[in-house]
Amino acid sequence: MSEIYQQPFFGIFITLLAFHWSKIISRKFKFVLFNPVLLSVVSIICFLVIFKIDFEAYNIGGQYLGFLLGPTVVALGVLFYEKYEQIKANIWPFVSAVLIGGTLSIISVSTIALVLGAPEFIIKSIAPKSVTTPIALEISTSIGGVPYITAGIVIAVGIFGNAFGPAILRALGIKDKNAIGAALGTASHGIGTARALDEGKLPGAYGGLAMCINGFLTAIFTPYIINIVFSLFS
Amino acid sequence: MFKGVLYIFLFLVIGEIIVYLFNLSIAGNIVGMVAIFIALKFKIIQLKDVKPASDQFIKYMVLFFVPYGVGLMAFYDILKMHWIAIVVGTVLSTILTLYITAIVLQKFGKNE
Repeated sequence: MSEIYQQPFFGIFITLLAFHWSKIISRKFKFVLFNPVLLSVVSIICFLVIFKIDFEAYNIGGQYLGFLLGPTVVALGVLFYEKYEQIKANIWPFVSAVLIGGTLSIISVSTIALVLGAPEFIIKSIAPKSVTTPIALEISTSIGGVPYITAGIVIAVGIFGNAFGPAILRALGIKDKNAIGAALGTASHGIGTARALDEGKLPGAYGGLAMCINGFLTAIFTPYIINIVFSLFS
Repeated sequence: MFKGVLYIFLFLVIGEIIVYLFNLSIAGNIVGMVAIFIALKFKIIQLKDVKPASDQFIKYMVLFFVPYGVGLMAFYDILKMHWIAIVVGTVLSTILTLYITAIVLQKFGKNE
């Protein structure tokens, strides 16, 4: 029986199956915790734990799906180009807001975690928490983080932004809907942008653009920012 | 569609070669992402050639990172040890990022 788990098709098949069911459930119940990625991840983990299957056995197949994130990052470059064409006239105030927010995201999460005593590899894993998952995984790997921890945190940040972002911003006195959209895209990538679309079409577009710009900037700047934070606090 | 997939893998290879030649600390596919953006901007390649393929990759992107999310289970003990730093850091930093981005844009952005 255990030989079946060791075949690549096993990991691929249960991922496809879990994702298929998760999408059906998330479409039926419009509840934030029923996000397709979260549901897929949780249901696969439950399955593996119940049947006592190691992650390594699952990942024999899982890694083939994960590999496709490589070309997906390149495909994001195409999406960024399309978004860039839409806003190039009014790009500077927007890029500045995203740059300030995105940089503060890296500095604040790494500083707080460092002060609270987290080890270096955890800080490097959570530093790119606000950008879209494929880019965050690459950043994490290249600066010495653990991509699995990064994936979990990035998905959690997306869901947090999606669930509480607009309420927090309104409580803090933000009224401009486009600003709310851009903030959701900057702080909580695609999952947050989904919520920005609920605010309206334009805020949704701002969220998508902010996600793209922050992905670009964070990919380039994170290694340098992390080095500065570590040299300041140690 | 096929041409688009070819282009995407071509830029993936270009990215890896650039990283190797210049000994960069950035991932090859991120360099590939920047390279394909530049190639589109300077009309070296056409959007219509690559878009059918890139749209498909982006459409199924969430499926591709499910295995990484599942990998979190292998780090249960480490997360249990450091969960306070992770949760406090992540939540406070996310609220700060949301607020600062929104306030900068609300104050200085043009409202149309």
